[in-house]
Amino acid sequence: MTGIKTSALLLSCTVSLASSVLLAQVQRPGEYPRGEKPSLMMSFFVTSEPVGDGGNLGGLAGADAHCQSLATAVGAGNRTWHAYLSTQARPEQPAVNARDRIGKGPWYNFKGEMIAQDLAHLHGDTMELAHRGNNLNKLTGLTEKGQIVPGLYDYSDPRDNDWDYAKATRFSTRHEMLTGTQTDGTAFTDGVDHTCDNWTSNKSPAPGTSNGNLNAADGRPNAQIGFPDRNGGGSGSWNSAHGTRGCAQADLPKTHGIGLYYCFASN
Amino acid sequence: MAEKHISKQLAHVVCTWMLASCLMLAQQSAPNTQGVTPPPGSPTPTPARMTFFVTSVGLGKGGDLGGLAGADAHCQALAAAVGAGGHTWHAYLSTQARPGQPAVNARDRIGTGPWFNWSFAQLGAPQNAIISADLAELHGDTLVQAQRGSNLFKQSTRNEHGEVIHGIGDTPPIQHEILTGSKWDGRAYMDNADHTCNNWTSSSTGSAQVGHSDRIGNGSSWNSSNATNGCSQAALESSGGAGLFYCFAVN
Repeated sequence: MTGIKTSALLLSCTVSLASSVLLAQVQRPGEYPRGEKPSLMMSFFVTSEPVGDGGNLGGLAGADAHCQSLATAVGAGNRTWHAYLSTQARPEQPAVNARDRIGKGPWYNFKGEMIAQDLAHLHGDTMELAHRGNNLNKLTGLTEKGQIVPGLYDYSDPRDNDWDYAKATRFSTRHEMLTGTQTDGTAFTDGVDHTCDNWTSNKSPAPGTSNGNLNAADGRPNAQIGFPDRNGGGSGSWNSAHGTRGCAQADLPKTHGIGLYYCFASN
Repeated sequence: MAEKHISKQLAHVVCTWMLASCLMLAQQSAPNTQGVTPPPGSPTPTPARMTFFVTSVGLGKGGDLGGLAGADAHCQALAAAVGAGGHTWHAYLSTQARPGQPAVNARDRIGTGPWFNWSFAQLGAPQNAIISADLAELHGDTLVQAQRGSNLFKQSTRNEHGEVIHGIGDTPPIQHEILTGSKWDGRAYMDNADHTCNNWTSSSTGSAQVGHSDRIGNGSSWNSSNATNGCSQAALESSGGAGLFYCFAVN
């Protein structure tokens, strides 16, 4: 009798175990895929790591170098990688449009899934294309290591807003991609900062000037961001949803970013 | 005897431990996509503030919703059940023209906005409670609006209970295909093909245009991404739908 009970117990135990393991096999956001390597076609990724100095990426050159080194580390260094970032015009220095830096497409992610066919598809250049949208979403906006970027409410932990916490885990919300770009992929032409001073600034706003406002304003360090999970920020735009609380590394997690950005192979 | 007893106890302990650790693992692995518990100190839920939701259930007969009237009544009943019946609710659905019967555009049925969901209000994040300020933003009437998209995205597109609709990557059943019968601009189709399950009366032949509540799949449109495989309940479910639709308060 006892033997039967024990067997029944063990059986139900095994069933629970099996079903739990099945459930656990779904790839959690932030988790590395098991035993998969990047597709040879990979020509798009989200950086798995930030540069780490807020909006100071070392300019476009520094940002590109970060893309290149992350790509190289996973065996995709044979392509020329550029960061999807704009810079704003300065005296005797014209603006640079993110969309002009990334080649012509099509671009494919870690799994070989197409993100967009061409520049017009990526940006929605016509009403029809804009309404349809590109193929960048939470499940395709993968890092060079194949991770899903933890998006809004994947990990609801108040500490997500704290860089000291976020830097020690892969499992905190971090879906804000630096772009410095308008929805059409071009640089802003107004006189206020949307690019953390062309990706050289790690400054916070002067005390009392931030006030939770995410819009760019005179004298306010700020970068425009978008979301690979198309989830949040008033529009779900992949490349131009809103600004940041500042340009210091610790400012970025306050709105669920850590300074990640998009990299595209330009060839 | 004593030995048997111990082994049984041991089995108990091992089993409990295995189960507990598995449950913990499973909990970690499932992204938090269902209704989020309001943090302490959040404002009291105010159902009357809600002017947008996705139906938590369909009518169960595929694309046969009993026409626009039946669909509206479903919206109204679901809203009333959660204390939001003070508004006049309309389903976001178009119907196609028939002899002596003009087309109806979904966008002309839902008032002028702004529209708010419920659960973001509960969470105390009012800036995210807004679904859209007006019809133009909701539908992307200008190119920049269309490129940006509205505030209708996975975490804001909730049912009347404040729950997120299961989308791509979530645990099945996935229910992200939302019936609209509409083009991107929120208007009815003018061709002769069926895009509305015969103006929401067919549960067998025909097809309906759907959008994706999580904005994933064949692009990122919330209201017009693809056509269903048919109009039966099984046909809707076969491609990740459940016959759910959007409800908006017109006042």
